[in-house]
Amino acid sequence: MIAFGLVLLTLGLVLAEPASRVLAHAAWPQRSPGIALLLWQGMGLLAGLAFIGAGVILALAAPPVVAVVLWTLTGVLAARLLGVLTATGLRTLASRRRHRQLLDLIATPWPDRPGAAVLDHPMPVAYCLPGLRSRLVISRGVLDVLTPSQLDAVLAHERAHLAERHDLVVLPFVAWGATVPLPLRSWLPGVLRSQLAVAELIEMRADDVAVRQCGAQHLAAALRAVAGIGSYPPVETAGTIRDSTHFRAHRCGALPALRRLRRLAISSGSSSSHSAESGDTE
Amino acid sequence: MPGLGELERAIMEVLWRAGTPCTAKEVQDALVGRDARDLATTTVLTVLSRLERKALVARERNGRAHSYTAVATREDHIAELMNDALGTTPDRTAALARFLGGMGESERDATRRLLDP
Repeated sequence: MIAFGLVLLTLGLVLAEPASRVLAHAAWPQRSPGIALLLWQGMGLLAGLAFIGAGVILALAAPPVVAVVLWTLTGVLAARLLGVLTATGLRTLASRRRHRQLLDLIATPWPDRPGAAVLDHPMPVAYCLPGLRSRLVISRGVLDVLTPSQLDAVLAHERAHLAERHDLVVLPFVAWGATVPLPLRSWLPGVLRSQLAVAELIEMRADDVAVRQCGAQHLAAALRAVAGIGSYPPVETAGTIRDSTHFRAHRCGALPALRRLRRLAISSGSSSSHSAESGDTE
Repeated sequence: MPGLGELERAIMEVLWRAGTPCTAKEVQDALVGRDARDLATTTVLTVLSRLERKALVARERNGRAHSYTAVATREDHIAELMNDALGTTPDRTAALARFLGGMGESERDATRRLLDP
């Protein structure tokens, strides 16, 4: 019994640290982001269940005093994981609803591309608002810098996020990233690592869908155009707090964009040499 | 019969343009003048209270009538949406997925250097 509990505990620790590092540094996920996403989800779920299972089994086997401690620890962990997931989910729904209400009031529906709306702002940004009543949004800045075929590639990318519900894929990783108390972050690097990896993989997955529909050249050109133009400091509003956390969030942007461009360069190279096979479905 | 969404847009437009508190009657008159639309005051009131529930409009008592003001300008709302979209709000949830992560000045320069050596 104790041995089984210890095996589960070890499994959890292995998944949290060495296994997540291996997966984060592997090269193959860039070629099959969909499979890598499934693996991250599986590993996350398994690690959580292993820790809770280990706590329960060890508590059952342990002497009474230790058992109380173990039950408490396990209970707190399980409650925190579920509670934070629920809280993050509800907060996300609320902020999405607010965003959608504002969009419907302010953005202009765009007749050329059904389902897309234009936001009157010079900074180039394209995004989707996921959910049952999803929205596709581009700023005027995007219209200024992209050609129509580049725009189609961007919209295909965003539609892939919506169709495959990437928001639901990301949600548990974001939520559970928040469960780790700050002082423990450096002890559990796997949590942050998985968050970054998943965020990047959904972009690559959406890139792949867009490439199949619109070709890699247009998507790569769009990425370059959006990366190179405009400035990204926080937009000034009353009540916006400007502090270093904004810029920490931004720092994740540059390198993944380069990796995405490199992938697109490879796939546009191979698609021009095997253009006859590019109609294959995966 | 225009949809509620379209009416909400039209009424916000009136309030933004006015800049001062307006009664439902004044909003109705402004709409008739501009769109030649025949709207009942109750319809205007319904839409105004919907907008109030969405925290887009504030209501205050003004003698016997209520008057309504837009809580923020159109530009403020656009800025709010852009901050959400760029992830520049402190409370960053997984609400949105944007095409390219926002970048700071130095990151953008670094990217550009790597792209065009």
